[in-house]
This record gives sequence, C-alpha cells and structure tokens, in this order.
Amino acid sequence: MNTRPFLGWFVSPAGLVAVGLIAAMLAVFQYSVRAYIPGTLEVGGFTWANFEAMLRPLYALAFWNTVLLCFETALFTLLLAYPLAYALTRTNSSALRSFILIVSVTPLFLGEVVRTYSWMIVLGNNGFLNSLLLKLGLLDRPLQMMFTAGGVVAALVHVTMPIMVIMLAAALSHIDRNYEKAAESLGAGPIRIFLTITLPLSMPGIVAGFSTAFAWTFSAFATPQLIGGGRVATVSTLIYQLGFSSFNFPFAASLSIIGLALSLAVIALLKKAASPLERMAGTT
Amino acid sequence: MLMRTDPMTADMPSVASDKIRPAVQLDGVTKRFGDSVALHEAWLKIRPSEFMTLLGPSGCGKTTLLNLIAGFLEADNGEIFIEGALVTETPAHMREIGIVFQNYALFPHMSVAKNVAYGLTTRGVEKKEIARRVEEALALVKLSGFADRKPRQLSGGQQQRVALARALVIKPKVLLLDEPFSALDKNLRGSMQVELKQIQRELGVTTIFVTHDQGEALSMSDRIAVMSAGRIRQIAAPDDIYRRPADRFVASFVGDASVLNGRLVARRGDVAVVSIGDMSVNVPATPTAGVAIGDAVDVFVRPEHLAVTPRGASGSLPGTVTAQVFQGGHVDLYIDAPGSARERILLRSPGIAALSSCPVGAEIGLTIGSDDIVAFPPGEAP
Amino acid sequence: MKRSPATLALRWSGRVLVAVILLFVLLPGVVVAISAFNDRAILQFPPQSWSLRWFWRAFSYADFAKGFWNGLTVTVWASSIAVVVGSAFAFAIHRYKFALRDFLEGILLSPLIIPHYTVGLGILILASQTGIGRGFPLVIFAHVVMVLPFVMRSTYISLENLDTRLELAASSLGATPLRILFTVTIPLLIPGLLSGWLFAAILSFNEFTATLFVSSQATQTLPVAMYNYVREFADPTLAALSVIYIVVTATLLTIANSFLGLGKILNVDAH
Repeated sequence: MNTRPFLGWFVSPAGLVAVGLIAAMLAVFQYSVRAYIPGTLEVGGFTWANFEAMLRPLYALAFWNTVLLCFETALFTLLLAYPLAYALTRTNSSALRSFILIVSVTPLFLGEVVRTYSWMIVLGNNGFLNSLLLKLGLLDRPLQMMFTAGGVVAALVHVTMPIMVIMLAAALSHIDRNYEKAAESLGAGPIRIFLTITLPLSMPGIVAGFSTAFAWTFSAFATPQLIGGGRVATVSTLIYQLGFSSFNFPFAASLSIIGLALSLAVIALLKKAASPLERMAGTT
Repeated sequence: MLMRTDPMTADMPSVASDKIRPAVQLDGVTKRFGDSVALHEAWLKIRPSEFMTLLGPSGCGKTTLLNLIAGFLEADNGEIFIEGALVTETPAHMREIGIVFQNYALFPHMSVAKNVAYGLTTRGVEKKEIARRVEEALALVKLSGFADRKPRQLSGGQQQRVALARALVIKPKVLLLDEPFSALDKNLRGSMQVELKQIQRELGVTTIFVTHDQGEALSMSDRIAVMSAGRIRQIAAPDDIYRRPADRFVASFVGDASVLNGRLVARRGDVAVVSIGDMSVNVPATPTAGVAIGDAVDVFVRPEHLAVTPRGASGSLPGTVTAQVFQGGHVDLYIDAPGSARERILLRSPGIAALSSCPVGAEIGLTIGSDDIVAFPPGEAP
Repeated sequence: MKRSPATLALRWSGRVLVAVILLFVLLPGVVVAISAFNDRAILQFPPQSWSLRWFWRAFSYADFAKGFWNGLTVTVWASSIAVVVGSAFAFAIHRYKFALRDFLEGILLSPLIIPHYTVGLGILILASQTGIGRGFPLVIFAHVVMVLPFVMRSTYISLENLDTRLELAASSLGATPLRILFTVTIPLLIPGLLSGWLFAAILSFNEFTATLFVSSQATQTLPVAMYNYVREFADPTLAALSVIYIVVTATLLTIANSFLGLGKILNVDAH
C-alpha cells in the first residue's frame, strides 16, 4: 500500500526551484572569493582580497551603521505596532477592526518605492512637515530631515510596520482571553494584567516580529538609497554602487555574504536572548 | 500464531460462532506508534448483522482498532478479514466500508444529495440509479426534501443523519461509527440512538460502534468489547459485562461499583464462597482462581444491589452515611464502613424515602441483595 | 459595570495613542495625495493651484506603461507558478515525511531572511555565468523564489484547517487517492490557494530590490521604472502614480477582506 501517493509530483517542482536558489547562492559565494578585473565583467583567480578590504573603516562603518539602523527601526516599529495590534485584536467593533487591518496592512502591498517616495515628500525641505512647522511658527527655517539617518529610520519604520502588526496580532489573537479574566478576578488592574499576562504571552510574536523587521530593514535598499541620498551608507546601497557603478561584482558578492552572515547572526542572537523570556512565559 | 485460541471467546456461550463466517475478524492485530503500543494483539470475531461496541476510556486503542478495520491505518502484525476475505493490505477505498465520524465529516462544498451520492459516483453507478438510491437513503433517515441543502444549513442531528445515509447508501459490508453521538445534546442523543438502532436492525448491517459512554454501549449493543491500555479486556453481551465483569477494570469502568473487603472461604465448582463481615456471598470462581482459601479478595458490588437495614440486623455491615445526593428517581448514599471497605461505599436507594430515613450521620446497616457479585484478587489500580 | 477613573483614563489614552499611530501610518499617503493634485512642478504645501495633469503624465509616460505591462507579465507568471509549486510542496511537507524534507523547506523559506539584494545578485551572477541572459524567464524565476514562502505558508495554513476526516470519509466511500485530491482536497483548499495567489501577485508586482538586479531595460517592472524616474525628475508624476497605486491596492484588499476575510488569511483572527 503506497502511503505517499504522488510524492514525486508534489516535491520535484519545488526541488527545481530550490536547486536554482542554491546555485544562485553558490554563485555569490564563488564570486566573493574571485579577483576583480576593473573595466570588465570577467573575474580573475581565487583571492581573499575582497574580505580583507572589508576591514577598511569605510566598510566596517557601513556594517555598524546598518546594524544600528536595523535595531532602531525594529525597536520603534515594535513600539508603534504593539498598540495597533492590541487594538486590532481587542476591539469589539468589526468596522474598526477592518479599518485598522486595512490601514495597517495596505502599506505592505505598496512596495518600497511608493512608500519611500511618499516619505521624501513628507520629509523634504519644501515637504509637508517643514511647511507645516514653518506655518505654525515652530521653525524659522526648514529642518534638514532628508539625507539623515533619522529620516531613513522614520521611513523604514513605516515600511516594516505592517508585517510587525500582522505578527503581533497573530500572537495576541491566540492568547486565551480567560487568562486575562482570571487575572482580573484575582484583583489585577489593567496595567498589571498587561505586564504580567498579555505581554509575556505575546513574547513569541514580539520575537518573530522584531527579527522579521530587522531582516527586512537589512534587506531594504530603496529607502536608504533615496532618503539617505548616499549620505547614509548601508550594506545594501554599497552593494548596489559596487555592482552597478563600478561593476565590482566580486566585492559586491563578498559584501552580501558578510551582510547575510551578519543578519543571520543577529537574528539567531535575538532568538537566543528571547528564549529565556519565552520559557518564563511558558510559551515554548 | 493462528493456532492460539482467543481467550475471550473461547469460554463464550457461542451461538455457533465457528460455523458462521464472521463479518469481521481480527487475528492478533497489533499497532504501534513509535515506542507505544496502541493496540496489543487484538483477537475479535464479529458476526454478520451484529452490533458490536468497542468501549473504553480515551486512549484505550478503540479508535485505532476502528481505523485499522477501515484501512486508515496499517497493522504492524496480525491479519484482518472482512467477510472472510483478507484485507490487511487492502487500501481503505477498496474495503467497502461505511463510516460515520464524530464530527460527521460531511463535505462542506457539496449539497446533501452530492454528499450521499459520493460513494455511488466513485463506483461508477449509473446516474438514474444514483438519484433513486440517494432518495431512498434520505427517506431512510427521514431527510427527504433536504437534498439541495448544504451541510452547514443543517442542525447537528440532521448532519448526522446525512452522514449515516452517505455511509449506508453504498451498502457497506461493515458500518463503523466513531463516537457519533458525542457532539449531540443530551435530548437528541437518546432519540438518535433509538433511531440508529432501528435502522441498523432493519438493514441488518454489521456495525462496529466506538464509544467511551458505557450507557450508550449497554443500551445499543449486541455485544461489547471493553478495552483499556491497548488491550481487549472482555467481549460479551451487555448484561454479562455488567453482571459478570471479567476483571477489575471492566467492573469499575462499566457501571458504578463499590469495593468491599472479603475473604475466600470455599470453592464449589464454578462458584466461590466469599465472606464479608458476617455475611457470605457466592461469586463466580474463575476470577479468583489464583487465590488460596482463607486469603483476602476484593468484592465488587453494584450500588443498586446494596440495601439499608437497621444497624445490627443479622448479617449486615455497620456503616455511617457521609453524604446523600438526590438524583431524581433515586437517592445516592455515600457510606463510610471502615471495617468492610477501604473507600466510601456507594448505595443507590430507589425512590425518595432514603432522603429522610438516612440523613447524613445516620448509623445504618448494609446488606447485599443480589447474586450478581464478583470478586477479584486484591489490588490497587483496576 | 462601573470603571474607576484611572481605568477610563487609561482606556482613552490608549485610544488616542492608537489614533496617533494610525495617523503616522496614513500620513505619507495623505501627503502624496495632496501633492499629486498640485499644479506646479515643484513641491509646495499647501498647493496654490490644483490640476490633474500629473495623472495624465503618469498614464502617458512610456516607461511607466511598459513597466506596468512587464510587471503584469512577470506577476501573472510568477504568482501562478509559485501557487502550483508552493502549494504542491506545502501539501507534501504537511502530509509526508521524506528525504531532504526539512532541508528543502528551509531553502525555500530562506528568501524571508536572506536580503533580497543577495538573492538578486546571486541570480544575476548565475545568469551571466551560464549565459542565460536577463530576459523575462530570469525575472520570473527571481519572483517565484521571492513569493514562494508566502504561498507555502498560505497553503499550509489551509491544510492545517482542513479536516483530514473528510478525506478519510471519501476514501471509505471508495474514492482513490487521485479522486480524493480532485474532489475533496483541492476544492476545499481553493480559498487558501486563491488568497495565496493574490498575496503572491501583489508582492511580486511590487518587488523592487531583487528585480533591480535581475531586470534589464527591456524587462524592467513598474517599481524599477518608478525608481529610475524619481532619480531623474522631481515633479509630482510619481505622486499621481502613487495615488493610483494606493487606491487600487486598498480597493483590492477591501474586496479580499470582505470575500476571503483578510484576518483569516493573515492568521490574526481570535480563536
């Protein structure tokens, strides 16, 4: 009796895609240890030069900046997304529920370019915020928000909000409300209930959301490129410049290897740091 | 392996079970999940048209047994026969078995008629014939006129009828029922049980019914197989199971029972004499075969077989009423009798007289008013 | 039930906080909408005169039209392939254990955490090494890789919610595994497959970073065309296009929400 009918049919197409993806990743690995021949797309022999070059302050700084940027973005996203996710799962009005869901999820489907462009208009020297603040008399000359790390973070928070809201809401919606009722019946006030019951039980969602926000920010390109305007160097903008301005694909490849390794390491670290918290909450 | 006789059926007053070909036969069927044995060497013969119940607590292996017969699981050892044909390796879709699940498992995207027709369509039955048989099956379960509804538009009881019609319309060799009543509310449950039993008798379809509810099992079955921890403990008619449980587990799982401290006094053929305090009672000899004369035994008594007498009446056991629970048609008394029982004794007094005559704290005497008493070697767990 | 003033204050400050955050989320969209109707070519708040001319320019700009059709081609192919490949694989990992199962799953889910530029760069290098060229197949492959995790997840959740007893019932009624697949399993998975397709299509249509690497002038999609535009021009054409984008996306999502239940797709409904 065959207990796994059509298994081959189900798996082999996915297997082909996986083979393609693995080949692409291997190609990046392979290029990262090849010599760059200026002016051509050809690559030279094997070398560690690309990785050695990354120790130079310019690149080391770009890595540090990127990690910092991702961390700030993920943190602010978490702080802003939690209240939304909480309201989304706890409101009794289905109209309000749908409204919050649509508003917080729509940006996910708009793509980086549209969202980044919107923020350029908001943050620009002639942009919305500066015009508003000047009109209100709170400023006497425009505040420089474009081409700053703060501007990039603001836009990136907006970009990562939807996925964070979804992940937190998924975690919050799976918490049995009777735990909160039980805590209330035992005399806990709303803040205590939140801090001792809801927050610990939503820990898995927080960890998942934070890691995803971190990874997405690490991957973001249009936002740091357009709002940072070259003054906020991140791994992604460097890779693009190396690849498409100087056609130094080997170096771009080695940068993206280190970028990948770094983002995996940070995510693994986050998971590890969070696991005692999750164990405490009894959710793992 | 086939040489071994089935210990459960060997001593059964069998109605020529060897002459009639069993509708379903299990020969030493074993099923393991990883390291745990879900079903341990099950031997079972089900007669044609019989209503056989698999009764046991959750995790006892009854659903595993059902799934093995249906072909949803593969046995690790042993053989399964349906109407004499070996089906151990036959896939589920070729076994011609009807099944009704606990949640009915009606196809939500198909109408009632399409659901019932499904098994006929897979058999390539002609369209007109399908229409006729679907109509017939729906009439059987009193759902004519519901053909175009979707399952979600039906009540729980109606869904169950559709599931039954869908299982029966293919004229299955065996009908399997997996806890079909547990999702129904109490009132509906009773009437559905009566109806199902009626239909089953009318069609004469061999039926295997899985339940953890002893009431359902006792009221519906021709025979019951009581299971626990992956083993079949006893196979017998409902009244035999109730009156002559084969072991401690069966005695305490089926019906209520109180355990009294007894002592084996004598053996006379099939009967053993046991003394409890000043009383002496006759019990079947087989379960205490290993106990020496003069040694302690545990005596299992049904609560309705106990009666209250005045304290000190000859042959009675002294006890104190610790609680009374009014149950409507009868009163349950909980009695402490430290000399004759380790646990509290349950006594079921018919009518409502005991409410006033036996208040909490009353010092009373206990007597046993029946011969349906069994004794087992002493032990802690059932 | 009577609530203490402190609880009420908490409740209202919570509401205000949520309103402020929603404002932050909505702000860029509103600002873009205002500037899209600005008659002047330079940014100005509030605009002094209004016009629809940037909308006409957005429609008539050749690169956008071409990007739109390219994007549509890539999206339809990529999301359809992803739904077939991803659902089949999700079915296999949900039901069966097989060699390399966890490895394959890990590989196919990895685009969720591997930076898109790494994937884009990898596929680009692979194409140049094997001489495949930067045509549509390459872009479509990149998009399949990107959206596959989402399709797998959506199908997997649908399978989790599918009562396997339905399939057992069908099997007891004499249906062969193939028949069960087509008459029970797939029909019941259709809402999940559709939402997976929709999800994949929207993500694919908007994918930018990896597409920037693997597309050429001939195959550039709308987001790439928009990126190139914003680097060259500062006029509100892109604002007009963004407004169209936002309106279309929000409409599609509202429809999806009312028909399929977005909460269910995104797994945020209370249980």
